[in-house]
Amino acid sequence: MPLGMNKHGSRSTTSLPPDPTEIVRSKACSRRVKLNVGGLAHEVLWRTLDRLPRTRLGKLRDCNTHDSLMEICDDYNLEENEYFFDRHPGAFTSILNFYRTGKLHMMEEMCALSFSQELDYWGVDEIYLESCCQARYHQKKEQMNEELKREAETLREREGEEFDNTCCAEKRKKLWDLLEKPNSSVAAKILAIISIMFIVLSTIALSLNTLPELQGMDEFGQTTDNPQLAHVEAVCIAWFTMEYLLRFLSSPKKWKFFKGPLNAIDLLAILPYYVTIFLTESNKSVLQFQNVRRVVQIFRIMRILRILKLARHSTGLQSLGFTLRRSYNELGLLILFLAMGIMIFSSLVFFAEKDEDDTKFKSIPASFWWATITMTTVGYGDIYPKTLLGKIVGGLCCIAGVLVIALPIPIIVNNFSEFYKEQKRQEKAIKRREALERAKRNGSIVSMNMKDAFARSIELMDIVVEKNGESIAKKDKVQDNHLSPSKWKWTKRTLSETSSSKSFETKEQGSPEKARSSSSPQHLNVQQLEDMYNKMAKTQSQPNLNTKESSQPGKQKEELEMESLPGPMVPLLTTRTDGIVDMRSMSSIDSFISCAAEFPDSGRFSHSPLTTLPCKGGINVIQEQSRPEGSGARYVETNPSSEGSHRSAFFIESPKSSIKASNPLKLRSLKVNFMEEDSSTLVPASNILRIYPDSLKSRGAAAATDTSLLSDRSLMSPETSIYTTASARTPPKSPESQAAMAFNFHDAGIHRYIDADTDDEGQLMYDSSPPGNVSPKYNVTNSGYLKQKDHVYRTEKNHLEAAALPTSPKLIGQNCIYSMEGITGRTQGNQETVRLENHISPEVHVLPGSGGHANTHDQSI
Amino acid sequence: IKMAGDFSFPDADTDGSEKSEEMEIVVNVGGVRQVFYGDNLNQYPETRLAELLNCLSGGYDSIFSLCDDYDPGKREFYFDRDPDAFKCIIEVYYFGEIHMKKGICPICFKNEMEFWKVDLKFLDDCCKTHLSEKKEELEEIARRVQLILDDLGVDASESRWKRCQKCIWKFLEKPESSYPARVIAVLSFLFILISSVVMCVGTIPDLQVVDAEGNRMEHPTLDSIETACIGWFTMEYVLRLISSPNKFHFALSFMNIVDVLAILPFYVSLTLTHLGAKLMELSNVQQAVQALRIMRIARIFKLARHSSGLQTLTYALKRSFKELGLLLMYLAVGIFVFSALGYTMEQSHPETLFKSIPQSFWWAIITMTTVGYGDIYPKTTLGKLNAAISFLCGVIAIALPIHPIINNFVRYYNKQRVLETAAKHELELMELNSAEGKAAGSKSELEDLSREGKEGPFYSSRLKVSHSDTFIHLLSEEKHYRTRLQSCK
Repeated sequence: MPLGMNKHGSRSTTSLPPDPTEIVRSKACSRRVKLNVGGLAHEVLWRTLDRLPRTRLGKLRDCNTHDSLMEICDDYNLEENEYFFDRHPGAFTSILNFYRTGKLHMMEEMCALSFSQELDYWGVDEIYLESCCQARYHQKKEQMNEELKREAETLREREGEEFDNTCCAEKRKKLWDLLEKPNSSVAAKILAIISIMFIVLSTIALSLNTLPELQGMDEFGQTTDNPQLAHVEAVCIAWFTMEYLLRFLSSPKKWKFFKGPLNAIDLLAILPYYVTIFLTESNKSVLQFQNVRRVVQIFRIMRILRILKLARHSTGLQSLGFTLRRSYNELGLLILFLAMGIMIFSSLVFFAEKDEDDTKFKSIPASFWWATITMTTVGYGDIYPKTLLGKIVGGLCCIAGVLVIALPIPIIVNNFSEFYKEQKRQEKAIKRREALERAKRNGSIVSMNMKDAFARSIELMDIVVEKNGESIAKKDKVQDNHLSPSKWKWTKRTLSETSSSKSFETKEQGSPEKARSSSSPQHLNVQQLEDMYNKMAKTQSQPNLNTKESSQPGKQKEELEMESLPGPMVPLLTTRTDGIVDMRSMSSIDSFISCAAEFPDSGRFSHSPLTTLPCKGGINVIQEQSRPEGSGARYVETNPSSEGSHRSAFFIESPKSSIKASNPLKLRSLKVNFMEEDSSTLVPASNILRIYPDSLKSRGAAAATDTSLLSDRSLMSPETSIYTTASARTPPKSPESQAAMAFNFHDAGIHRYIDADTDDEGQLMYDSSPPGNVSPKYNVTNSGYLKQKDHVYRTEKNHLEAAALPTSPKLIGQNCIYSMEGITGRTQGNQETVRLENHISPEVHVLPGSGGHANTHDQSI
Repeated sequence: IKMAGDFSFPDADTDGSEKSEEMEIVVNVGGVRQVFYGDNLNQYPETRLAELLNCLSGGYDSIFSLCDDYDPGKREFYFDRDPDAFKCIIEVYYFGEIHMKKGICPICFKNEMEFWKVDLKFLDDCCKTHLSEKKEELEEIARRVQLILDDLGVDASESRWKRCQKCIWKFLEKPESSYPARVIAVLSFLFILISSVVMCVGTIPDLQVVDAEGNRMEHPTLDSIETACIGWFTMEYVLRLISSPNKFHFALSFMNIVDVLAILPFYVSLTLTHLGAKLMELSNVQQAVQALRIMRIARIFKLARHSSGLQTLTYALKRSFKELGLLLMYLAVGIFVFSALGYTMEQSHPETLFKSIPQSFWWAIITMTTVGYGDIYPKTTLGKLNAAISFLCGVIAIALPIHPIINNFVRYYNKQRVLETAAKHELELMELNSAEGKAAGSKSELEDLSREGKEGPFYSSRLKVSHSDTFIHLLSEEKHYRTRLQSCK
């Protein structure tokens, strides 16, 4: 990177952002632009980028302010005319070639999932992928989806095994583990071995029973079981019955247990015995006895099903079952091939052989048997052709049989091996996961690939979200009782990778659902926290992208900077122990899912037209109206006498000030009003402006307001929630607990971020939808806040204040109005600085043990 | 505050370029700078870089016709192209051959080569196979797309008869086109099954009736079912033939020959029984009828029309003729060798089952394919040893050539699905492009670019013509939901 870039890169501490005029001038100077993506420099004509104006690179040209540029790229250098993006350089080459040639190809060694993420980031739809690469892309993606689905299923199964709502859960869980998880303990292993031995024993007894030497004779001259073997049988059946009943009793979900294929086999293995006993005991009379005997014989045959019980103890058998289920298409093909071959060859051999004396090929159906035995190359020799023609047909039949059977089998084999491998891999993964958890408990740092985790999380959560929607209400209740943010499960909405219209629906339905992942990382250290901040810093820039885009370049450009809202202070929990206790340790992957959650959202934002807030000429009028109403609401408008048609307006919105007033209640109410306005007014542009009066009113009435009612629909802008996270600070007691708390806030922030987002969508999208469509979860979240607000004052700290104004931190906690006034006054003056700080803010983090007041700019991030 | 966009360049650069004069040009491809020497470039005067060298004196217009940007100060030519592919392509000036960098899509690379006006023949053979594979795939996709487009195309200008013909054609040949067409396909499938079953059941002696002359005849009900089935098949075939756009092509295609073979025996035997008695002896007629009955088996092949798996099988077998020949040859050699050996070794046994070498052929086949009926088996020790060896050899002889056949089958089987989705995707892409072309918006430049010939695999030009001219309305009205896609662009 050139030197100038570095200088500019450090402007967060030193210099002011460059003037829009400079940016425009720098852009006008050259026909070309340098793009530095992950260290790899590219040079491209502006003209080329203009071909796809709605993509990220296409927007780059239209950005004439520092902020809008920073939303699109990660860094820039005007002298060198260079823009830096912190993305994967390999994928970018393909994407840049799309601009150049109009053909989107994919690097062959590139992972399909990571490529799709890159496509999302750069705002290119995957539909443009050329046919030659598309097949590979979709194949890989489908494969991945399948894997994720399976993983989600196992995850769901784990979730299903909760014993929290009924009596003696602890004991039942132990019993369940003992019976169902042979790897969980030595005792369970022994039990499994005993079970296998019983199965083998009973099968041997079943076979021995048919030996004529061992059979006895009853009074009717019929053979009966050997008495010794009957005892063995009874013992085995008793064991099986006991096992089944214990399993059933200890299972968390009875109906699901009943439906499971393995358990159905168990039932089938024991039922025949009891049915036989019942039948023989109830029908003693000789008259019925013959009929009963026949039935009993059938049930005796069904006893052989118990050999399938071995499937429970063998992964290989399970894979076989799964493979057969999955490749029924190929099996059908095999049977079709065989049937056709049999049909053809049997009729041929029939016509060849039918004139022979005492031929066994009497009719076509009679020669079916011959054809089958020949094609499968079994060849009993009970029927064989005798004429020359018949022998030729027979020879052809053999070869055709070999071919026909051999052809579809490799496909089935492939399915099997794939599944088997997957099964093995999963077993290993579970072990590794456990090891990771152990390591985390021990306090050692675990590093993991974020991207990977993210990729998994996308669809994983998608599926999870879809599937257990019914349990939300219950969980909410639980959370309400506990009131610990650590229990809040933030919503994971996925950017559906096709970025198709369905993504909206999934998000909608997904929003009230929580992934449980939030609870995992109790022992996150500060370093990991910082990582999260970094991630958030990236996403934060997204929403405004569309703001820029929507405003016509030819028109007067007025941008409403949602970002200038600093985050509200997050009330901190005093119940630290609660939080830790409630946290459930989850797999490490989940923890990273939570960290990486911003990615899909960011991607989606850049697509969603709903987040765009077009501010056209009408805004000014509304501004005028709102100004007299809300005296406390200040906004600063700077009209840098712009050259040409580019004019930018910056608003520093009053909510910032009220937010600084560190009363969570007020924040809530403010947000509520915001959303109410949002729903009632259909012009998105006016929504934000009307906040001001409302926020003022609500501030006054904050104390009196029914908090629960308010919080019901409280919403936050995405940015604010991110700031929440960034500024979340804990009064440090032990480093461990502090980290945990911070992370909780992170979760909460994201949580609300998503909620707000969803609701925004919902209301803008379906204009008619009532504001009440907010999920009940908000209630929980916010009531949690409100109840804790008393404990919170001392801990609230806005890093922004500290950075922007040297006001004494003590004031902030108590006198909201004062601080607010002060802040607005200041911000009017140096709005540029404040805005700058907004961008940096995620980098600001709290050092543990620094007394809770020190803010450090961490440049190293 | 810094001033951006400083245009002045150091003098050193100009000095350097002056020194080298025309001997040396600096090329900047997408940010990657490269220096070339004139004599190097002139090895291949038809390439773009060589042309660039030659037109340096031709003024700015000719320079800008060849490159995207020119910096007179640095004497640097700028091309807005993929630098990675460029690095591979310039190898031609140094080594005379090009190797594709691993990971670049071959089609993409081909386009780059076309842009730099480097002939495809410079691409080394090791990379060419990759390219041709991809090309074939694209051709297949293009064919499918064309098929789909043909189905979609309803030309209003055609006469009513033509349209009606097309309608019937679609009805009978494309079961996925509409619900009734699917019903027809299922019905046809059922008729094939029924007629096959009837054919088999008719040979069961218990179900046959004895006519006046003591001959066994088929049961009258079975006969009538058979007639009904044949009637259906005939109707189907005639309708297909009438509605087919190309009669000659239709009559010669494999599936339709099978159809003819399935219905013809019935009519021939019908005419023979009614008219043949006058022409020849009755016994001859009956023999001929009997012979024709065998041909009824052909109707089983009609199933292939309804199963993609069977079509794949025939395709795979067609593709692996060589391997099949190999298999048969191995087997034939084995049969000859082992039957001769078996014959000679069994000669010593008094009650030998091997009476002659041709007779022991049968034994050899049955042994080598591991069927083993047991009607002929060796009795001497040496003969048994020979049998064991022949069995082992048979397994190997079958297993070895069968592998490529299986491979072919699996590949086509898997490809079938991939191509299906790819064709759909291609259609979407075309529709997208055409919609943009209509909007005459941002992409028009891109379209121009592609028209210049830098773009597009060979097939796309054909398709582009077709979709942009006639199919736009069809495609655009077909998929309204696609509009979302445009919104993201």
